[in-house]
Amino acid sequence: MTAFPGMTYPSGPQDNAPKQTKKKIKTTKVVNGIEQEVEIEVEDVAGPEWGPRAALKVLDKELIRVDAPVKVSGRAVYTHDVRVPGMAWARLLLAPQPATKITKLDFAACAKIPGYLGHVVIEAQETRWLGQPVAAVAAETSEAAEDALRAIAFEYEALPFVLDRESALKPDAPKVSRRGNQSKPQTRGDEGKAKAAIEAAPHKAAGTYSVPVVHHACLETHGAVVDWRGGDEATVYCSSQHTFGFAGDAAKTLGLKNSAVTGIVEHMGGGFGSKFGFGQEGDAAAKLSKLLQRPVHLMLTRKDEFLMGGNRSGSHLELAGGMDANGTLVGFTARAHKQGGIGDGSLSGLPYIYKCAEAWTEVSGVRTNMDSSRAMRAPGHPQASFATESLLDELAYAAGLDLVAVRKANLDDTVWHRQLDRVAKEIGWFEHPHRTQPGNAKAELCTGIGFAISRWGGGGGPSCEVEVAIERDGSVTSSVGSQDLGTGVRTYVAAIPAEEFGLPLSAVVARIGSTRLGNANGSGGSVTTASLAPAVKDAAYNARRAFAEVLAPLLGCTPSEVSFADGSVQAAAGGKRLTWKQACAALPEAGLRAKGVWAAHLQGNGIHGAQAAKVEVDTLTGRVRVLHMVCMQDVGLCLNRAATRSQINGGMVQALGYALLEERVVDTALGLQLNPCLEDYKLPHSLEIPKMTVILDDEDTRGVIGVSEAPIVPGGAAIANAIHNACGARIRSLPCTPDKVLMALGKVS
Amino acid sequence: MVYPTSTITDMSSEPGRPVEGLFPEPTRRDLLRTSATAAATGMVVPAMVSAQQAQSSAPSSASMETLQGEVALELTVNGKSVALKVEPRTTLLDALRNRANPPLTGAKLVCDRGNCGACTMIVDDKLVYACLQLAVDMRGKRIRTVEGLSSVDGVSNAAQLSPLQQSFCEHDASMCGFCTSGFVMAITHCLEKKPNASLDDIKLACAGNACRCGTQPHIFEAALAMAKGGAK
Repeated sequence: MTAFPGMTYPSGPQDNAPKQTKKKIKTTKVVNGIEQEVEIEVEDVAGPEWGPRAALKVLDKELIRVDAPVKVSGRAVYTHDVRVPGMAWARLLLAPQPATKITKLDFAACAKIPGYLGHVVIEAQETRWLGQPVAAVAAETSEAAEDALRAIAFEYEALPFVLDRESALKPDAPKVSRRGNQSKPQTRGDEGKAKAAIEAAPHKAAGTYSVPVVHHACLETHGAVVDWRGGDEATVYCSSQHTFGFAGDAAKTLGLKNSAVTGIVEHMGGGFGSKFGFGQEGDAAAKLSKLLQRPVHLMLTRKDEFLMGGNRSGSHLELAGGMDANGTLVGFTARAHKQGGIGDGSLSGLPYIYKCAEAWTEVSGVRTNMDSSRAMRAPGHPQASFATESLLDELAYAAGLDLVAVRKANLDDTVWHRQLDRVAKEIGWFEHPHRTQPGNAKAELCTGIGFAISRWGGGGGPSCEVEVAIERDGSVTSSVGSQDLGTGVRTYVAAIPAEEFGLPLSAVVARIGSTRLGNANGSGGSVTTASLAPAVKDAAYNARRAFAEVLAPLLGCTPSEVSFADGSVQAAAGGKRLTWKQACAALPEAGLRAKGVWAAHLQGNGIHGAQAAKVEVDTLTGRVRVLHMVCMQDVGLCLNRAATRSQINGGMVQALGYALLEERVVDTALGLQLNPCLEDYKLPHSLEIPKMTVILDDEDTRGVIGVSEAPIVPGGAAIANAIHNACGARIRSLPCTPDKVLMALGKVS
Repeated sequence: MVYPTSTITDMSSEPGRPVEGLFPEPTRRDLLRTSATAAATGMVVPAMVSAQQAQSSAPSSASMETLQGEVALELTVNGKSVALKVEPRTTLLDALRNRANPPLTGAKLVCDRGNCGACTMIVDDKLVYACLQLAVDMRGKRIRTVEGLSSVDGVSNAAQLSPLQQSFCEHDASMCGFCTSGFVMAITHCLEKKPNASLDDIKLACAGNACRCGTQPHIFEAALAMAKGGAK
């Protein structure tokens, strides 16, 4: 094929590329963060390859993130930080009760507030969850917006409500939804056979486990800046996990064409599954902008964030299981309720990961007058993991078997075997005294170890369009509209072309976070990396091949003989050599551009992880201190080892949070959330952080796989199991607070 | 002195002594408590001046005065004078983020009540949460924000980072980055007070800083690499 520098190269097969065939592969499809495994047909093109790991110069190394300098110096501009000329400040009025009939909503007094600009009504009739937005006001300053909020004459009649599972299931309970307070139970397996298998088993255990509603608690709250000044176009900034998602919503509200609205997510301060759509807050900002014909900044306050910014559904699980003398789980039953507010919540299949010949489950959602749960990092998995792993430990102790051996006995996939063995070694399991029986609480300080495993899909799909451009001056740009949630996307968007061209990371500029760039999917369900990285690779590969066409005549070789390494290009076998800059000077004025799309063979799907936790329990106070957490995780090809380790650490820290500290606390009688602030909703802080060990499973030779979800799953169960292992306190309800430890030890009632 | 709530229960087995002046000083909440009897329209300021005097930079007498409406201020931020207009209730954080021109948005508004440390600044060598400080109280004080730790090269536009900031980059100590400014300020202050800080010192210094991404292990590594003689 002839090179046409300056033209856009199509992706896909080129001159020497093998003949295309179609093949079916399994991958993960995610809708709002909920993962589904699907089979899709893809073009089987043996084009770009990652190459042998040992030959990589940039990827699979410890990279400094390309956006680290702006973040550490406070110069990164998040949606919260966007300041545009003439910008108004907006605030939301939220329903202060779980269910209300609105009797008065009068904004007359707002007009007396200096700087007040206007309002929009979001809900004028009835609200049916605590914190549901009712109205939004805008003013010249944030202080005036707060005053205007207080000046609204808002009166309502409180309607009956339910905030907890037990009340919601009572026959005479107030109806949360027209669909009733409980979703239709979904059952799997044969109840009779499962119960019979448990009955016949020599070792049995049963228990009721509960996991509370917890919050994403993103440090940057939800919200948007809508910059529309009455013209044909608008720019919308949003703290979002899906750049191409919210811009369309904004266009609809503003009455503009999709193409007339630019969505921007330059940097964003955490999402964890809670930030997909434009949301009611974004919609209110757009309506205010339309009303005022000026830019509007509307970010939730911290209290708003707790009430309406997302939560992970709670679970109530009644489990029973039977184990034979070899440690095989022979029977298992589970009846579970998901608590997702007005939504239905999520729960992974049970038993979680471990195989069982006779398992029966019945799962339904119980609705309450709280905001709907949203996807949160591995939706439904931590809940299922906590209950399953706890029951498994109880059965292992009943059978007098080693906790690691029992896990391996119920897992066919040997990847988990090697991971469990390794984390056990790292945490000191083989020197630990309580491997088949828990310790007792005779000592004041007791040490225990617990284990749990995780799995996730992590595969991608065809959604991203990447452009790699090489300019005459030697600069390289890699562009795609995708967003970086703190995961390191921006860095690998630059690192992959750097690897392809034999350049250092610093030689490539990544452009992301805008709908003006190529399409990209939302970042949820760990799909980003496996969707995006292959497309970046494809674009870089196409650019390199096109560049080789240009350079071949200059170097006196064929295009396939042109090699790119160490900042220069060279004809093979000691031939003519040009520096990268000299080579680029051969390009026409317009430079060279190549596009790339997804290639299935560059990614993988289906990951495994194992974690171990070591804790110290103070049997006098009930306080639990985590001493050490170890995670071993397969990640396919690791694009940036430092960022991957960070993300796995982060999963463990978040697991420590929901294991010991985090819980949405509500007053079920008064209809309030009692801890809608970071003072009372406790996150893990520096003094709670234990020693942490991350082991990347380098035996995994697959392509790229998303890693975000899996590391948050096992830590909670591992910590709860470690507490029991330390002193015999079995806590079946998260978080494991000191009062529950003392109750489990029989020291308080 | 205000200790972050977690310090009390979670001192490690070798409790480090808090570094003097390490923790944020008097708070907006303390201030609100002392001024509970004030007229609802204004805010009483301890280092009191009249509205007219508020234009000048030196608070004069200990007499109590009520400020009302818009107050013109000149603040010293990162060694430079910043002129802005605030309300008496405007916090230092909101003043710099929302009212300064150009805005200084490195410090983040996350909790607005001293729970998270994302707005940490150094004022007269003391660590403060800027969401708990009134802007009108800041006259005549030396305010340091995260923007002041590095400079931007006018030619290359590249940031000249402080050694700690560089260490944060090298240890991957920032994920989403929304908490990063606060951690950088808290640890900068800690290392200025105690260059040979230990891991316990560092943990204590940022015990009031929240990070939801769970970057702490790498933050500790980045800080320890800068501490002279600290455990490595």
